[in-house]
Amino acid sequence: MSLKPLLRKVFLVDLIKGLKVTFHYQPPSQAITEQYPLERPVIFERFRGQPRLKVDPDKGNSLCIVCNLCALACPEQLIVVKGERNPVTKRKEPVSWTYDLSRCMFCGLCAEACSTDALELTQDYEMALYSREGMVLDQAALERGQEPVRYVK
Amino acid sequence: MTDNDRTAYLDLDTKDETFLDATELVLNMGPQHPSTHGVLRVILKLDGEKVLGTECVIGYLHRGVEKIGENRTYAMFNPYVDRMDYVAAVSNGLGYCEAVEKLLNVEAPPRAQYIRVILTELCRIASHQVWLGTHALDIGALTPLFYCFRDREEILKIFEKYCGARLTTHAFRIGGCIYETYDGFEQDCKQFCDAFLPKLDEYEELLTTNRIWVERTKGVGILKPEDCIALGVTGPVLRASGVTWDLRKKQPYESYKDFEFEIPIGLNGDTYDRYLVRIEEMRQAVRIIRQAVDGLPSGPIMAKVPKVIKPAPGEIYHSIEAPKGELGYFIVSDGSTQPYRMRVRPPSFVNLQALDKMVRGLLVADVVAVIGTLDIVLGEVDR
Amino acid sequence: MLDALKSYLTAGNTPGEAGSMLWATIYILVITLGISLAVIAMNWLERKILAHMQIRLGPMRVGPHGLLQPFADALKLLIKEDIIPQEADKLVFWMAPVVVTMTAFTTFLVVPFGRTHAVTDMNIGVLFMLGISSLGVLGIIMAGWSSNSHYPLMGALRSSAQMVSYEVAMGLAIVSAVLMTSLKSGTGTLSMIGIVEAQNAQQTWFIFKFFPLGFLAFAVFAIAMIAETNRAPFDLPEAESELVAGFHTEYSGFRWSLFFLAEYAAMLAVSSIAVTLWLGGWMRPFPNWLGGATWDMAFSFVPALSLFVLAGMCLLGALRMPRIPQMRIQTVGLAMFGSLLGFVGLVLLVPAVRDRIQDIFWFVAKVAFFMYLYIWYRGTFPRYRFDQLMRVGWKVLLPIGLGVLIATAIVGLFPQLTSVMAGVTQ
Repeated sequence: MSLKPLLRKVFLVDLIKGLKVTFHYQPPSQAITEQYPLERPVIFERFRGQPRLKVDPDKGNSLCIVCNLCALACPEQLIVVKGERNPVTKRKEPVSWTYDLSRCMFCGLCAEACSTDALELTQDYEMALYSREGMVLDQAALERGQEPVRYVK
Repeated sequence: MTDNDRTAYLDLDTKDETFLDATELVLNMGPQHPSTHGVLRVILKLDGEKVLGTECVIGYLHRGVEKIGENRTYAMFNPYVDRMDYVAAVSNGLGYCEAVEKLLNVEAPPRAQYIRVILTELCRIASHQVWLGTHALDIGALTPLFYCFRDREEILKIFEKYCGARLTTHAFRIGGCIYETYDGFEQDCKQFCDAFLPKLDEYEELLTTNRIWVERTKGVGILKPEDCIALGVTGPVLRASGVTWDLRKKQPYESYKDFEFEIPIGLNGDTYDRYLVRIEEMRQAVRIIRQAVDGLPSGPIMAKVPKVIKPAPGEIYHSIEAPKGELGYFIVSDGSTQPYRMRVRPPSFVNLQALDKMVRGLLVADVVAVIGTLDIVLGEVDR
Repeated sequence: MLDALKSYLTAGNTPGEAGSMLWATIYILVITLGISLAVIAMNWLERKILAHMQIRLGPMRVGPHGLLQPFADALKLLIKEDIIPQEADKLVFWMAPVVVTMTAFTTFLVVPFGRTHAVTDMNIGVLFMLGISSLGVLGIIMAGWSSNSHYPLMGALRSSAQMVSYEVAMGLAIVSAVLMTSLKSGTGTLSMIGIVEAQNAQQTWFIFKFFPLGFLAFAVFAIAMIAETNRAPFDLPEAESELVAGFHTEYSGFRWSLFFLAEYAAMLAVSSIAVTLWLGGWMRPFPNWLGGATWDMAFSFVPALSLFVLAGMCLLGALRMPRIPQMRIQTVGLAMFGSLLGFVGLVLLVPAVRDRIQDIFWFVAKVAFFMYLYIWYRGTFPRYRFDQLMRVGWKVLLPIGLGVLIATAIVGLFPQLTSVMAGVTQ
């Protein structure tokens, strides 16, 4: 073996190089841990999280016109919409609107298909519940959006 | 089928009384094991410490994805495809969208193709990072795992900014992309590339010349090129054995023709070569990303695809170079909105068949290293 | 009573030498408590330092910055269900952790924390420590055998083979150091205190003696001691990603914690041997280069200063805690801990305490350095496979150890050899 590799082998140069790398990362400023729930992650705009039905801010009625496109687009068929035509405003209004969160895979096809931009997937991700009952959302729950439980006053 | 039927071909000696008298021992590396990268059961026939034969039992993660495919429309099936190789979801989506586009005879516009290539190469780096971290962990080095996941975090942030999800991205659509690049996409990619290459040098410092690493991986799990081709092994495993075959060069798809990059080829086909090949692939991926980001054309991102996708009756097989090997989709259409048959050729499933050939004569401690070096994801193996 | 205390404090030899059973017992109790505290601290330090090397934070929740984590772990292990395999050999199963722990603790009988701070000073101190730690191997085999399962048995046999192989290399390195003790006085000594006194007399730490021979012997010992204690990169018998899960698979709860305690105590013991033999034991750094009364006094302030630094870090951490109601208890706890450390530092400033504590502090600091090395290696290196491990032990360390021994002997005898040769030729 030529001299330089032999010296490297004898003086454990490769092992020392590795030791230097781990030594260099020790200061706590290098740690990338995010201490949830004290530190929350930054969620970006396009995040596909909790679904939400939008409401017209001026008039207060739902933006949904019961076109049923979202229900047709969903791969798991977990949206069921029923509506009736309102003779005054001459548009369909939702009577019952259910979304089964337990089977949803948050693919976003429903929000893409929505013709009036009423259904959107928000940036909420804390959807844990203690029982299955709360997982089928109705219209009121969808319009309210998420309400995390606060444990400390 | 009992275990006896399954292992009958291994010719086990059943006459021996205690295990201390027996010269052969059957060891079960069960579905729950820290090193089998998922729920994989490996039955090993040992002579002391030497491995005489193996049998893999899979199916613990079978979810019937191909059957689901027969009951969903083409656009609806897109999200399911991410869940197969869940480590590198973007490339699954790419393969599927390309296959259906070929069936429809449309081509995605150039801008969409460049965006797809950027995201796929980022996904390749992300997948190789998972591989590097877990492989090093199996061999005993605890820290590269965390460093690799730190880099992977940056990539997942870019995915989240682009399409809204980190892991099950559903990034592409049939005909192109639905999401336009966000403000700062090019900066983010460039920043990632610049920050990533020095980190890769650090991983090399930790592992490549480390004498313990070299001793654990050199000469372990050698796979000869003829065996690779006979078994149908593809991807970095094939290239490390010396066969020059990469679908990005041999059957170019998307816009890979426009980019200059090299394919690393190994010499010996052992674990060390596979490690070197994948590290170099990450470097070349950075090269591709830089070229793509610099040359991103303007224009539409979605081709003219009908709202209801009803391809003409026919069949197509299209494969791409996923991070783990050749990922192929064989779609048979009968003219309706739902495919008649949706068959996926997963690279990990085919690569796993090489396990038996590679571990004969090795020690038990090496089996773990060899499973790691094959880079299997059980979601893909079982579908 | 006070006279007895005074006479003890001004004594010139260890309690064992003085024949005082009372003080020897007190020392034994203090040392046992000290080792347990050290193991608890090591647990916390290992998790935190390893975590920081892996760019994460480690335990942060259980106490302020995870300081109460070891206590939580100990409590959990104590209240766990005691499971014994049905076919296990019950007596041997019960005895194995006892054997391992007792041997690990017994080695500390001769470890010198200072000139008079040892339980006793046997004239075969080093041999005693080596012999007792070899007894620990018996405990491991007992553990593997009595578990009545082939994975622990294979793991135990592997572990014991590894430990026995590296003991040979350790022994050779120790003999090289012992050889060096005879250079000035003409007679060598195996006594731990005698070895440090020899280094004092020869005005040099043995690691620097006959450079590079002393350093090579130290290096051989340093590598062998890691393999002896089954730590990375030689921890294949304990590795979780291997099929053979190690000799302590069937042990749960308190029995497992005894193995854990024994492992860390063994680490401390072999580090103590290394510190005593090569790094000058309890002597402060640079006794000659920076000699003299003023330097002595300056160095005597270092223990108090180091405690003040630690206290300062705690108080700084308490200031930087998030100001929310849930973290109030932790902030207060950390501030109190910091104040306690500061108070102990103040106590160490008292002149009478300062002189006595010097030796202990430097010894503990050097052993702590070795503990840090253990953690550093665990975070950096991959694992050796078993056959490669044995190859390193027998084919690399043993020849080097033998060569260093012969070279040390020749170099050490050189003055006498030359005078003999001169006498012969005349």
